[in-house]
Amino acid sequence: MTMLGLTRQPGFAMSASIQNPHFLLRRLHSLLGLVPVGAFLIFHLWENSQSRFGATHYNEEVVGALQGLNYLLLLELFVIALPLLFHAGYGLLIIRDGQAEPRRYGYLRNWLYWLQRISGLALILFLLLHVGLTRIAGLFDPSISADLFSHMQQALSQPLVFALYLIGVLLAVFHLANGIATAGIVWGLTSSAEAQRRFGWFCAGFGLLLAALGVHGLLGFLIAPGAGGGA
Amino acid sequence: MSAPRVIVIGGGLGGLWATLTIAEAGHRVMLFSLFEVMRSHSACAQGGINAVLDMKGQHDSVQQHIVDTIKGGSYLANQPPIQSMCEDAPGLIRTFERMGVTFSRTPEGLLDQRLFGGVKHKRTCFAGASTGQQLLYGVDQQVRRLETEGKVEKQEWWEFLSLVKDADGVCRGIVAMDLRSLEVRAFRADAVVLATGGLGQIYAPKTTCSTNSTGAAASRVYQQGARFANAEFFQFHPTAMLGEDKTRLMTEAARGEGGRVWVPKDPNDRRAPLRIPESERFYFLEDWYPTYGNTVPRDIASRAIWKVTRELGLGVGAVGEFGAGEHGAGKRDVGKRGAGLRGAEEGSAGESRDRVYLDLTHLDRGFVSTRLGAILSIYRKFAGVDPLDAPMEIFPAAHYAMGGLWVDYEKDAATGGMKPGSPRNHATSIPGLYACGECDYAYHGANRLGANSLLSASYSGRVAGEAVASYLNGLEQGADAVPAALFEAETARQSGINERLTKASGDQNPFRLHRELGNLMTTKVGVVRDNAELDAALSGLREIEQRFERLDLGESSRWANQSLAHARQVLDMLKLAQVMAASARARDECRGAHFKPAFDLAIPEGKFPGDPEFETYRERWKANNAEWLKTTVAEHHPDGPRIGFEPVDLGLLAPDQPRDYR
Amino acid sequence: MQAETRSNAARINEPFAAAAKAPPDHGRETGASRTPDRADAASRTVELRIRRQDGPTTAPYWQSFRLEARPGANIVSLLMDLREHCVTASGEPVDPVAFEHNCMEEVCGACAMLINGVPRPACSALIADLETPIRLEPLPKFPVVRDLMVDRAQLFAQLKRVKAWIRIDGAWDNHERAPRISPQDWAANYLYSRCMSCGCCLAACPQFGPDQAFVGPASLAQVRLMNAHPTGRHDKAERLHAIMADGGLSDCGNAQNCVRVCPKEIPLTTAIGELGRQTTVQALKDLFGGR
Repeated sequence: MTMLGLTRQPGFAMSASIQNPHFLLRRLHSLLGLVPVGAFLIFHLWENSQSRFGATHYNEEVVGALQGLNYLLLLELFVIALPLLFHAGYGLLIIRDGQAEPRRYGYLRNWLYWLQRISGLALILFLLLHVGLTRIAGLFDPSISADLFSHMQQALSQPLVFALYLIGVLLAVFHLANGIATAGIVWGLTSSAEAQRRFGWFCAGFGLLLAALGVHGLLGFLIAPGAGGGA
Repeated sequence: MSAPRVIVIGGGLGGLWATLTIAEAGHRVMLFSLFEVMRSHSACAQGGINAVLDMKGQHDSVQQHIVDTIKGGSYLANQPPIQSMCEDAPGLIRTFERMGVTFSRTPEGLLDQRLFGGVKHKRTCFAGASTGQQLLYGVDQQVRRLETEGKVEKQEWWEFLSLVKDADGVCRGIVAMDLRSLEVRAFRADAVVLATGGLGQIYAPKTTCSTNSTGAAASRVYQQGARFANAEFFQFHPTAMLGEDKTRLMTEAARGEGGRVWVPKDPNDRRAPLRIPESERFYFLEDWYPTYGNTVPRDIASRAIWKVTRELGLGVGAVGEFGAGEHGAGKRDVGKRGAGLRGAEEGSAGESRDRVYLDLTHLDRGFVSTRLGAILSIYRKFAGVDPLDAPMEIFPAAHYAMGGLWVDYEKDAATGGMKPGSPRNHATSIPGLYACGECDYAYHGANRLGANSLLSASYSGRVAGEAVASYLNGLEQGADAVPAALFEAETARQSGINERLTKASGDQNPFRLHRELGNLMTTKVGVVRDNAELDAALSGLREIEQRFERLDLGESSRWANQSLAHARQVLDMLKLAQVMAASARARDECRGAHFKPAFDLAIPEGKFPGDPEFETYRERWKANNAEWLKTTVAEHHPDGPRIGFEPVDLGLLAPDQPRDYR
Repeated sequence: MQAETRSNAARINEPFAAAAKAPPDHGRETGASRTPDRADAASRTVELRIRRQDGPTTAPYWQSFRLEARPGANIVSLLMDLREHCVTASGEPVDPVAFEHNCMEEVCGACAMLINGVPRPACSALIADLETPIRLEPLPKFPVVRDLMVDRAQLFAQLKRVKAWIRIDGAWDNHERAPRISPQDWAANYLYSRCMSCGCCLAACPQFGPDQAFVGPASLAQVRLMNAHPTGRHDKAERLHAIMADGGLSDCGNAQNCVRVCPKEIPLTTAIGELGRQTTVQALKDLFGGR
């Protein structure tokens, strides 16, 4: 913690932003949440929305194509895993500080503030489940990677898993959309109340689109034809 | 030397300027405040600050500012300090500007100026309608900067109780009380600056002043020998809005920006004001004073409103409304409000109809919003009506003490003004004690012009600061040499008073005594005065004071006991109220805010200079000046104030022209 | 007086509505059900429930009071009435309630407290607009001194940390004419210069508190103001660095309660957005050089 400059100090250190990394770390947290984590989420939802074209298409064109990438492990590590871990870990530290009182201050932004933190926590649990169920399980059982479609189809046909995935996908989309809206303020893109409101609605629309994509992908596993020897 | 060299008491505009000046001169300052610095009453000043910048092509001049101020105050103020203040005003504005004060701008981006009462030129710099707040914050920020540099130390939540004087009568420190722990402690100082503001709470609740503007501190040094001057001159601001806990100021800028004051011509006209056609409205200020119209000085406007509502019975204000007497307490209050003897006589008839309209509805909404936003929102919040949609209902309320602690000045023979840097400037009659801001008496004579108070507070703070720096340079022996026993004795005396008040067991509640004091003063030492009433006031004040023997604090807490602090303040306010009443009793004439109808020399109606009738009046007026154009000076005596007089320095402008705003 | 509801009056264009589109809602909580004509209103008995505390370290407790509220009365005037005769609803005489007040016209910032759960100045909280029983609590996030009095030293400490002043050579006249500032820039700056340090925004901020390092919106708004001044601009980088350190700007969670409760309708979140932009640029300068 100390190395990261996160120790609580009562006063400000009057130092340049690069000598005191607090600001850079916060901005890094914000940036990584947008790119690559947010970008990956968009890609991932688009990718999985192809589930409705069936097992063959999914396993070969989507999963297969990805698995065939050179330096896949490095990509997964540096573009997805590490940024995600940092975003999640640092996010936990941030959450520690807040004292949301959504009932006392029932303003929309305050509810969103509270939901952003709740969804962040929930997403850490969901991602443990999700990554465990797919990528980690695949390390031990090569057949999972070979026919990811069927694996997912099987899992999602259990109501509990489906419900968890549905919540997970929606929370992730919310977390990203709201994150983009607040990033607009954080980075200084939007300053006036009107601009923040306009951009907020834009992000809400974007989030709805993304949510539709995600739910569509989940349903796709259930309605699309399975692989030949899948189940 | 361990003691701080200078103690400044009061964190308003005057105190902060003094602090800033003294600290910049290299002396350590300990700043005492009853509350967090920046919450002082200076923040309530709305309309602006006068300085001749001549931004409006009106050929304004410093000389004219001086003349307006002198005449506005009915020649009662010494002229050298006025001259210096007006000459330094533009420089003060420039300094404020550099501090970051958000003065309103012209379309070109330069300082804007507006019209205020008692003058014909646009001379008032302003920051929206919260000028006092902006100026206060500007200096507050500078003092905070000095605080971080270790040059200023703040003692917030401490109340000044008394001075500590050495054997020669020189002020060597103070005794103060921590308003939280109630600790009474002595502080050594080589000089003390009192900047404790006004005393409007003596008229509570019919005052525009903050609840901490009690005048208690000034009263305490008065009781320790400081002379108190011109106490009878207290300004009633003509445009305040109704309120039971306090009357809230509606800035004079509302008139300066084009607001019009009127009443319906027909006293029985109960129509909504905007339904009353132009021809049926009585714009009495414009009628009676065509030259200045709505921007006559405050004493004139207040008396005109008094005349319209009390003598002509044309006031507005519906019966059955707040303050209009639908319950006993309110009725009693209103009957007496600001009306002097007449209000009490008139009793119930028309007593609620003591207000007039202040109308902004004919002005451009955007313009008014930009220039007067702060007061519009006050009226909206507290009266529930938007002044852009309907005229405001206003009446005169106790506002500003022209009088205050007597302070000296050294006249510069070369310029006729105050000698810069003289240690005599703003020195009270107690060596080592200085006073600045509303708690001194120096600049406003018998009546203060609008937007001259922020100027005098800032300017006097700076001058007092410079004077203190000079005084310290000439000081042979510091406060450290004074025996500790003196400080201990005074601390013990003050603790004893606390002890006595805490232990008293009677039936008199300090807050109720305060209310009675306010009612008494409002009724008997108000807009209009009469010697019999003033005598009654003096005995009434003594009666209230005697009831302190039977005090019941209502709490015995040893922590943050506000009743104790308040009881002490009320006791000292009573002493000051006696000075006001006694000074008013002693002055048998009409001058500025002090109006005794029995001695009125009215300007002959319709007659102007050159007319024999007017010239006869002028001679009578001059004869009256020969007798009464003198400063009232009160000195404390256990039996009551001793009133004396001293001459006024009229070196710049001889009193040849009566005030005439027609 | 005009027969006009306060709620209508309150909705009428505020002078700075365009810049601060999020007016405080709390003052109008019963706006729709208000009696249309204030003049008809008479005194009424209201119940005050006050959270009291005898000292900084003692436990808080609640007391109820019943007293007459005259039309036009506000919380401060009610508390002033109460101290003349401080007897609880059950008839027990108790110590007067300690509270802070000064200007009574919402410009000094002294009397902020929690009224029916919302931080706001007590002087401008009209009884007629409040639901009863009225709950009064000390302003949260700050140490209680006694009853409704709190110690806001933290707020002033933050102003020092962010150097909320213009560094001038000295408080004397140097005969330099005022700089030109366009009326548009003035109007934007003026919004921030009216901050009276009442602490309402801090009380409502989920990121601000005794155990949290966040500087809070009030001081951030002053950084915005000072950075815009022609001279204040000289110290812009220093102020930005101060708010880029621990507990600085980036600790803001964008809950935006501050702008909703600010009694002066200061566009605090606009300041935060503008500072977001300024710090972004400053960080790039710090990282890649340039002034």
